[in-house]
Amino acid sequence: MPLHTPSAVMPAEATDPVGDVPPVRILPSQTSATTLADRAQAAGLAVLAASAWPESPADTAPPAVAGFVNSSFSPMAAEVARRCLHRRATITTNAAEAASPCTAVIIASALGDLASARHVAQAVDAGVRIGPLLFFQCVPNAVAGHVAAQLGLVGPVISVGDERSGLDAAGLLIEDADADQVLLIRVEQAAAAHDRDRAEAVLLAAGAATHERSRT
Amino acid sequence: MTDAIALADPPVARRGAEPVVITAAAVSSAFGRGVAPLLSAALEGTPGFETVRRFDVADRRVGVAATLPGSPTLGDELDQVIHEACDEAGLSSGRRAQCPLYLAVHGDPDLPRTQGAEANEHSAAAFARSVAKRAGLSTEAARAYTSACVAASTAVADAAAAVARGRVSSVVIAAGYLVDPDQFALFDAGRALAPDGRVRPFSARRGGLLLGDGVGALVVESTSSAQRRGAKILARLAGWGRAGDAYHVCRPRPDGAGLARAITAAMQRAAIRPEAIDYVNAHGSGTEHSDAAEAAALHLALGESAATMPVSSTKSVHGQALEAGALIELIVTVHALRAGRLPVNAGYLGPDEACRLNLVLETGQERPIDYALSINSAFGGANTALLVGAP
Repeated sequence: MPLHTPSAVMPAEATDPVGDVPPVRILPSQTSATTLADRAQAAGLAVLAASAWPESPADTAPPAVAGFVNSSFSPMAAEVARRCLHRRATITTNAAEAASPCTAVIIASALGDLASARHVAQAVDAGVRIGPLLFFQCVPNAVAGHVAAQLGLVGPVISVGDERSGLDAAGLLIEDADADQVLLIRVEQAAAAHDRDRAEAVLLAAGAATHERSRT
Repeated sequence: MTDAIALADPPVARRGAEPVVITAAAVSSAFGRGVAPLLSAALEGTPGFETVRRFDVADRRVGVAATLPGSPTLGDELDQVIHEACDEAGLSSGRRAQCPLYLAVHGDPDLPRTQGAEANEHSAAAFARSVAKRAGLSTEAARAYTSACVAASTAVADAAAAVARGRVSSVVIAAGYLVDPDQFALFDAGRALAPDGRVRPFSARRGGLLLGDGVGALVVESTSSAQRRGAKILARLAGWGRAGDAYHVCRPRPDGAGLARAITAAMQRAAIRPEAIDYVNAHGSGTEHSDAAEAAALHLALGESAATMPVSSTKSVHGQALEAGALIELIVTVHALRAGRLPVNAGYLGPDEACRLNLVLETGQERPIDYALSINSAFGGANTALLVGAP
């Protein structure tokens, strides 16, 4: 694995191993009338940065992630994480402030990596051998570990089955100082052909609801 | 690697003021239903591994696991242990209806073979709600944890944090994994399974892990809630901690720094020093890199106490129950504490310089246990530590 500097401390104009990031332009109706950022703020958390997949018609397929095959799940998660952390870096002028937080990673997904799970089930039922790479990518933690390693995020790594649980867990982690910030990534892979893959990420910090309680 | 990154200093762990206790624990394992047969196997170091008959393993490199007899279903087994745990804790139907269920599972077992949009009805959260509904627990507050081998311990830590903060008075944590053909094929393809059919944690010539059935349920609540009901307290949930490696997709950080921070956070919350801990139930998967990293973590977190601290991995007996593993091990740890007896690290062949620990190798070791630590690690560099204390 190559050595990476955390993108949070990287000036926007520097050579960037995580590549260019398009400007913030979250499509208005990804899952409902509100975004994950809106819902996080409604839950009393401060939203430091946000991203989504897709954000524009140019987002046709997320960039591949080395070691992950056959499925959009992990590439989508990695891409929204990269965009979110990069945006935080570009709007924070104090590099030390950007670098210092202990950041947790939470993956929230209703169906997990459905494409990989279906691929494995079909192979097992057909008596076909499966590739060794699928061994680790079938759990959502794996891409969280990829994101954490790439971006230097040393807080807890958690995977839950829905967004509300992720927001609730994020608030408690911050209150109890398990982390200063939480990168919450929601990934929903299309179950049917007419659906579309989508993902969102938010970088969360203590907000109105957590500031007072976290002083105890 | 990421060693050169100037990693953030971890903050000092905080917690809410309410003391947290465990008032019930129920389990099913390869040794049968109930805590007694599992605890007996762990204390005697009797492995439960045998040839898998639940599905065809003829084409696999390894064909061994620790399984319940027959073809149990995950839903039925979860229903059973949750029912037992709620009864043991004396939760009335009215209390159950207010009680959240935190369920650690890989997902709905039917999901991978469900086609089209119907799959949306088989989400992990929907599975948790259906289990909660059958158990008479709050469906509104049911949630699913899917963080691989730390799913259950993460659920316990979240429950403890919420109870300590007074957000909720009691939580039922359940977890389940039954050895299945899909995960078995994945672990076989990843060459993770021990070719010699034994799990040998921290031992020379250890060859990998083996899968095992594990279904468990725990009731975690505030001391005041338990006392108001007159419930028997099995153990205090004195501390909990989580931290990430920021190192690799599936390999542990070799210096154990992430796991060490999780252990330190648990000790901070319990307000104890390493020498107060009497036993460590290790993750001890039996794989080369993971066991060495874990030994490094124990030395990093426990300092001089690590050299003499009794350590064992009961995966050597019941196998790796994936999302449920941490709950099975916590239940073993709680009951070992209550019995004042140390579970055995089975399968040991000889020392490994990378794993210099005071392993429990002989049966029949009895001692008062005031505090015991249960630790786990998972893919993604996720680490957890749960610290239980005598009531």
